[in-house]
Amino acid sequence: MMDTLQLLGGGFGAAFHLAAFTTIVVGLLVGVVAGALPGISFVNAMAMALPFTYVMEPTQSMLFLGGIYVGGVFGGSISAIMINVPGTPASLPATWEGYKLTQQGQVKRALAIALTASATGGLVSALVLSFLSAPFASFALSFSQPEFFAATLLGLVSVIAIAKDQPFVTMVSLFLGIAIGTVGVDPLYGQARFSFGISEMESGIRFVVVMIGLFAVGEVVDLLATNRSLRPSGTRARGLGVKFSDLWGVKWAIARGTALGCMIGVIPGAGATPGAVIAYGVEKQVSRRRDEFGTGVPEGLAAPEAAKNATTGAAMVPLLTLGIPGSAATAIMLAAMMLHGVTPGPLLFIMDPSMVYTIFAAMIIANVLMIVCGIGVAQAFSTLMRTPPAVLGAFIIVLSVVGAYGVRNNIFDVYVCLAFGVVGWAMKRIGFPTAPLVLGVILGPLAERYFLTSLANSRQDWTVFFTRPISATILGLAALFILWSLWPNISGLLRGRHARKA
Amino acid sequence: MKTKKLTTITGLACSVALGAATLAGAQEYPDRPIEMIVTFGPGGGADLMGRTASQLLEPRLGVPLPVSNVAGASGNAGLTQLRTNPADGYSMATLISLTVASWASGLGDNAPEDFDVVAVVQSSPSFLFVPANGPHQTAEALFEEARANPGTLTVATSGYGTQDDVTLKLLGEAEILMENVPFQAPAERYASPIGGHTSAIYEEPGDVAQFVRAGQLVPVVVFDTERHPEFPDVPTSAELGVEISGLDNFRTLSVKAGTDPEMVARLEEAIVDMVASPEWQEFCSQTYSCIEPVTGDEAQQMIVDFRETIAARLGS
Repeated sequence: MMDTLQLLGGGFGAAFHLAAFTTIVVGLLVGVVAGALPGISFVNAMAMALPFTYVMEPTQSMLFLGGIYVGGVFGGSISAIMINVPGTPASLPATWEGYKLTQQGQVKRALAIALTASATGGLVSALVLSFLSAPFASFALSFSQPEFFAATLLGLVSVIAIAKDQPFVTMVSLFLGIAIGTVGVDPLYGQARFSFGISEMESGIRFVVVMIGLFAVGEVVDLLATNRSLRPSGTRARGLGVKFSDLWGVKWAIARGTALGCMIGVIPGAGATPGAVIAYGVEKQVSRRRDEFGTGVPEGLAAPEAAKNATTGAAMVPLLTLGIPGSAATAIMLAAMMLHGVTPGPLLFIMDPSMVYTIFAAMIIANVLMIVCGIGVAQAFSTLMRTPPAVLGAFIIVLSVVGAYGVRNNIFDVYVCLAFGVVGWAMKRIGFPTAPLVLGVILGPLAERYFLTSLANSRQDWTVFFTRPISATILGLAALFILWSLWPNISGLLRGRHARKA
Repeated sequence: MKTKKLTTITGLACSVALGAATLAGAQEYPDRPIEMIVTFGPGGGADLMGRTASQLLEPRLGVPLPVSNVAGASGNAGLTQLRTNPADGYSMATLISLTVASWASGLGDNAPEDFDVVAVVQSSPSFLFVPANGPHQTAEALFEEARANPGTLTVATSGYGTQDDVTLKLLGEAEILMENVPFQAPAERYASPIGGHTSAIYEEPGDVAQFVRAGQLVPVVVFDTERHPEFPDVPTSAELGVEISGLDNFRTLSVKAGTDPEMVARLEEAIVDMVASPEWQEFCSQTYSCIEPVTGDEAQQMIVDFRETIAARLGS
C-alpha cells in the first residue's frame, strides 16, 4: 500500500509536468468533442489519433489516448441529452431519461447529473485501477466463456426489462437486431452468412453504423419531414439550473452504477454499452420510482452514466496487468504501446512502474478535468441547438457519413448507414422502439460467440452454464430480472385465463 | 597528379549522373501518398506490421504511406478494397496466411491471381503453449494425456478451417486428439489458457511474446522441420513423432495484380532495404518473425501453395 502511494505520487508528479498535462487536456477535449458529435465515435477518434502518437514518448501517447477514451465515453451523452442523438452506443440510455429532462426544459440539470455521475464513476474506477488492479485482474481471469455468455444474456434481458410498457414489441425489435448481427462471417467456422453473394456483406453489419443510421440519420429525416425544431420549447427556462440536492439525491444510483461498471468493465469484450444498459435495468428494478422511468427520472440517468465511465478504468486493468485488450479502444492503446516497443503485462509493472503509475495518475486527473471540459463543450453545443434545423440536419448528415465511413474505411458502410436512416425514420413514425434493435446488433453476436465457444470448450455439454457457480448466479439473476419485469403481463394473462374459466 | 584529378572529376561526374538518374526515377514513382491498407483492426499482428512498414518506408519512398484499417471477413474486406482500386501502385495491403487459409474454406471472392505479392516480410512457425501453472509442462506429457484420454484436452485456436485447425487434425491422425476451441477475438484467446480455461493455445510466438516473456505461457512444441533459434530447448513435432510443417504464419505486402512491373520493382527495392534496416530487425526480433524477404515469383507461389495445402488437408 505504501509502495503504491509512493509510486502513485511519482505518477502524479510526472503527469503534472506541463507537456504531460497539456497532452491529457488536449486528449480530453478531442475525446469529448468527438464523442459529442453525432456519427463520430471516440474509437474513430482514437484510431485517427494513433499516427500522432508515433512522435510522442510512450507514456505521453498513453496519456493522449487515455484522455480521448475518458472524454469520449462521456462526450456521447452530451448529444444524447441535448438532441436525442447518442454520440456513442454507450450513451443510448442517456436518451431515455436525459432527453426527457431536456424536453421539460431541464437540460442544464440533466447535463450536470450526467457529468457528475460520469466523473464519479470514472474516478472510482481509476482508483480501483490504481489500488486494486491485481485482484481485479484475477477476477477477470476467473471469468471464462460461460460467464461471458451469462453476462451478455443479462444485458439482453435488461433490454426487455427496461421496456416501458410494451415488452413484446421490444422483443421483436431486439430479435431483429440479433438477426442483423448474424450477417457476415460466423465466429467459429469462418463461413459467410446472409451475405447474398455480395462480398461486402461478408464483413458483416457493424453496430456503430446501425446506430448512426437509426439515431443520427433517422432523427434528421424525421426532423426535416415533420418540420419541427430540435430545440424543445422549454430550453430557455433558466430557472431550473442544478441544485446540490439534485446530485445528492442520486448518490445511491451513482454508487450502484459505478459498482456495476467496474465489474462489467474488466470483462474482455463487454465494455461500456452492456455496462450502461445493465445499470439502467438494475436501477429500474430497485428504484422506488420504477413506474416513472422513461419520463425523465434523474436516477435513471445517473446510474448508466456512472456505469459507462466506470468501465474506462476497469477496462484498463486487463490491458495493463495482463496485456489483454478487452475492447476496441483498449486495443488501440495496445497498438500504441507495441509500436513504441512497450509490451503491457505483468513485466511492465516491474520494468517500468513509473510509466504504469503515470498512466494511473493521468486517468484520475482526466476524470476530474472532465467536469471542466464537459461543461465547456456542452456550452459550445448549446449554440448548436439554436441553429436552424436545416443547417443542423445537414451538419449531422455529413458527420454521419464521415463517421460511418470511418468505422473501417469502407464505403459500403455508408450505404448501410443511410438505409438504416430510412428504416429508423419509419420505425419512429410507427412508434416501433429502435434502441432494442441497436442493442441486439451489439449484444447478439457477442452472445453467439460466447455460447458456441463455451460449448466447444466443454465437449458440447450445455449444462456448463449452470454448473459453474458464477455463470449460474448471473443466469439466475437474469431469470429473476425477466420474471420481475414481465410480471404485470404474466399475471395479467393468468388472471385473464382465470376469469374466463370462471 | 593529373590522373588523380581526372579520376576525381570522372567520379564526380558519375555520381552526379547517378544521382540525377535516381532523382528522375523518384520523380516518376511514387509522387503522391501510397495508401497502406491494413486488413485487420488496430492492435493485432498485421496492424503492427503495416504501421511499422508505413513508418519505415516513408523515407525510402519519399512519400507518406497513411494506414487505413479495413477489417472484416478474415482480412478479405481490405483485399476486396485493394482489388477494386486501380492498379496504379498507390495502394498496398497486408496479405497474410490466415486470409489465404480462409480462401481455401470458401470465404471471399479473392484469389491469389488477383494480387501481386511484392514481398513476404515476416514468417513464423506456430507453437503449442501451455499455461505456466498447468498440469502438463512438456509436449510429451501433453501428448500422452491426449492419447490416454482423447478429447479431454482443449486447445485455444483462431477458428475452424484455419491452419490451426489443420494442425490439430494432423495431430488427431496421429491419435493425439485434442478439442479445438475457436476464439475469434485474440484477447479472449490469450486470456483463456492463462486463466486456466483451456489446456493449451496454438499461436505464433510473436503474438503472445509478452506472456512468454512474463512466464505465463510456456512453449512446448514447434511445428517446423527444425527448432526455432530463439527457443532452442523446445522440440519440434517431428522429434516427437508427428511431422507437421509448412503451415507457418506469414505476412506479405501486396499490390493489385497488373500493377506496372517497374513500380513493383521500386516497392520491392524499398521493402528489401527496409527489412535490412536495424529498426525493422528490432521489430521482427521482438515478434520472433525475422526472415530474409521473399520476393518475385517465389513469393507469389507461396500464397498459391499455401491455399492448396490448406484446401487439400481440409478436404481430407
